[in-house]
Amino acid sequence: MPRPASGRRLLPGFGLSLGCTLVYLSLLILLPLAGLAFKASELSLAQWWAIATSERALASYRVTFGASLLAAMINAFFGLIVAWILVRYPFPGKRVVDSLVDLPFALPTAVAGITLATLYAGNGWIGRHLEPLGVKVAFTPLGIVVALTFIGLPFVVRTLQPVIEDIEPEIEEAAAMLGASRWQTFTRVLLPALFPALLTGFTLAFSRSIGEYGSVIFIAGNLPLISEITPLLIIAKLEQYDVVGATALAVVMLIISFVMLLAVNALQWWAASRLHRRSGSADERR
Amino acid sequence: MSIEIRAIGKRFGSFVALEDINLHIPSGELVALLGPSGCGKTTLLRIIAGMESADHGQVLFGGEEATHLPARDRKVGFVFQHYALFRHMSVFENVAFGLRVKPRRVRPTEAEIRRRVMELLDLVQLDWLADRYPSQLSGGQRQRIALARALAVEPRVLLLDEPFGALDTRVRKELRRWLRRLHDEMHISSVFVTHDQEEALEVADRVVVMNRGRIEQIGSPDEVYSAPASPFVYQFLGNVNVFHSRVHGAWAEIGRESPAAYASAEAMAFVRPHDIDIERQPVVGSLEARVQDVHLIGPLVRVELAHATELIEVELTRERAALLSLVRGQQVWLKPRQVRVFALPETTLEDEGSGI
Amino acid sequence: MSGAAAVKRALAEPRWVRVLLLGVGLGFLFFFLALPLLAVFGEAFATGWTAYAKALDDPEALSAIGLTLSVALFVLPGNLVFGLAAAWAIAKFDFRGKSLLITLIDLPFAVSPVVVGLVFLLIFGAQGLFGPWLAAHEIKVVFALPGMIIVTMFITCPFVARELIPLMQAQGKEEEEAALSLGATGWQMFRRVTLPNIKWGLMYGVILANARAMGEFGAVSVVSGHIRGQTNTLPLHVEILYNEYNAVGAFASASVLALLALVTLLAKTIVEWRMRRETLMLKAELPPEKN
Repeated sequence: MPRPASGRRLLPGFGLSLGCTLVYLSLLILLPLAGLAFKASELSLAQWWAIATSERALASYRVTFGASLLAAMINAFFGLIVAWILVRYPFPGKRVVDSLVDLPFALPTAVAGITLATLYAGNGWIGRHLEPLGVKVAFTPLGIVVALTFIGLPFVVRTLQPVIEDIEPEIEEAAAMLGASRWQTFTRVLLPALFPALLTGFTLAFSRSIGEYGSVIFIAGNLPLISEITPLLIIAKLEQYDVVGATALAVVMLIISFVMLLAVNALQWWAASRLHRRSGSADERR
Repeated sequence: MSIEIRAIGKRFGSFVALEDINLHIPSGELVALLGPSGCGKTTLLRIIAGMESADHGQVLFGGEEATHLPARDRKVGFVFQHYALFRHMSVFENVAFGLRVKPRRVRPTEAEIRRRVMELLDLVQLDWLADRYPSQLSGGQRQRIALARALAVEPRVLLLDEPFGALDTRVRKELRRWLRRLHDEMHISSVFVTHDQEEALEVADRVVVMNRGRIEQIGSPDEVYSAPASPFVYQFLGNVNVFHSRVHGAWAEIGRESPAAYASAEAMAFVRPHDIDIERQPVVGSLEARVQDVHLIGPLVRVELAHATELIEVELTRERAALLSLVRGQQVWLKPRQVRVFALPETTLEDEGSGI
Repeated sequence: MSGAAAVKRALAEPRWVRVLLLGVGLGFLFFFLALPLLAVFGEAFATGWTAYAKALDDPEALSAIGLTLSVALFVLPGNLVFGLAAAWAIAKFDFRGKSLLITLIDLPFAVSPVVVGLVFLLIFGAQGLFGPWLAAHEIKVVFALPGMIIVTMFITCPFVARELIPLMQAQGKEEEEAALSLGATGWQMFRRVTLPNIKWGLMYGVILANARAMGEFGAVSVVSGHIRGQTNTLPLHVEILYNEYNAVGAFASASVLALLALVTLLAKTIVEWRMRRETLMLKAELPPEKN
């Protein structure tokens, strides 16, 4: 029976809680962002465009987006495997491993940054073995990819895990009964079911990577045009008291953030509607 | 305490949930609000409880205006469809809740609370479950705890939303009788919502049949079943055969109504399957039909017959069926014992549900 | 091949695939998670216990720890109240613009910490909107504790609300309605029914918010001004020591933060386990009917 909002509400506190929420969000989020827009309006569109598309800025976008994309792809591939083994395969110490997946959420980014830089430096535990092979990771764009892979790791795993848990064994059984091999079942039945979640996790990891600062700067080397990410360029401009330049780049980053947020929302909506279609009777069972 | 509903109306957007509802519930009666889902019965119950506000109209308790009284001041016991037991509290604490949240000056002492709760648990025959948590109870037990919890605050009125809806058939029947006995002991005005006609007819003193936000009929269980006020009530309570009377003029006559009034096609005749006799020979006012199928259903025999393009269902006793020894394809004559004719095709069950 | 083996083959991966996937997955986690975690402590203790203890028993390190704690102490209550209010309004009521509001709450997750820091610099900084006014009244926001608290509030604002909204939506509002119909006041309803039902989710959100508040680097770095012994939180302190090639000092401080991360993971796992147990209890099959 439909029972949408009524004029007078039974549960108390609607006005108070919504009021608190709106005031808090306005003061903390909307007003400051409006401040940024206000500051940016001191620039003409042409000036803004000139700063936003300067050679150094364009190079920083390439580094940021390229590394983020690569890291998100690595995470999508390995994240799928990790999520799969965590849900499906028994192995000793599984609980510890499962908890450890959240480490990048819990470990401060600066700590991750200095640790990865030390590990992959020429004399580090890992770098020591890579250097003779001619692979330099620390202080190169490859280092940025390593740091962003670390940062984005939980996103794909944590979005996929509940979806894999929810796959009903019946659909795999049905595929097998219809003569599909395990590989066919995986590619034709399971992967399409997991795809929206995989894409959502990928997008979340990608979006987090674009804005990441703390873990990257220690390992990146930070050479302008080669290994300088956009957030670092903003800091560099600030340190030279070029507030206007920093603001112009911040506006670019903010627009990208909005686009990513919309993309994540759209993806989640898409995934949910697919899921809903797939098990339309779920409501009745409840 | 009596309940008076005056001209209550309620809309949700463009959906009319209730339209001009007037209802008087005398003190001490057990009343069923019966109707298909989406008919507004739950909305009406929630308005009585103060959990939903009406767009217009009044609610009076014992003659006193209660329309704008907040839910917590109405002294109404409400039993939720899914019980809404507090999951983190024991059964004892659930029942004690209403007493513990009373303002300090009227709150009973701890000993008094303990005595009252155990008394109520005894009443619902579940005193041995006091220390359990809701998740450890069966559906029927949860239902009775929810009732005990509602009764703890000594409500003036008891409201139950689909009280047996989530239970299996056997438990449902038991609880039905138990609720009736409980009501006879306590004599507290009670209203319950149901979509199950059998439940309403068996338990209630009075049945309020609702459809599309309106009351179709108010009456005793016998009245609503044997003298339905509208085609909707006829079809909602039990099986019925529907005829368009122009074709069946002869039957309309038997229906004790004036035939002239229903000469047009704009009338329908309703006959219950057990109100039709089957004859092997033509008799006055009978209708010719052909036997299509014969089913044995427990103590009854259901015969499906074809008259022209219409399918007619007739229920016979086994003895009568044996006497007739009907076979498929046989030519017979039907004679109704009781017919109701309604002018104008009003709402029928076929186009029901479009408003949900 | 026996029938049983064929069935198994169709429903599970062959043994070599399982071994391969386990190897690849666990290997990936080892190199990207376990090894860095070990490295933090390895580097911190590289020159022994005494050097470690000395690195931490340093006025600047201690002041950084103190500052980190006080930032979290100011941020968390605000976060808690906001999270509760937002979740109550969003989960229990219907109103227009609800999904926009949810997106707005998510916004801090999407914005780069550096941009967040810059935004508040533009408002409260010397050349900012309120800069002159603040300077005239001798109120220091940027390059001082208030600025660091505000940016951290921005960064951590979604955590509690994000945990509570789905939880409270799933629980519905019948229990609250029942409490009211039994005569409870709004406050009694909240304290006796709502709060006990959401306590684990609330704790979960606070744990995550705390980890982020204590570990935030980018945004705090922009507004802190890096004044030693005054506006350096622990992560900033780590950066300074690292850039001065004081590896032991940097990793000693980092190990404190890594320990915090481990405690966070442990607390999170315990809370998750409690929540899972409670949902399992709720979903459990009804026992058979008896009287």
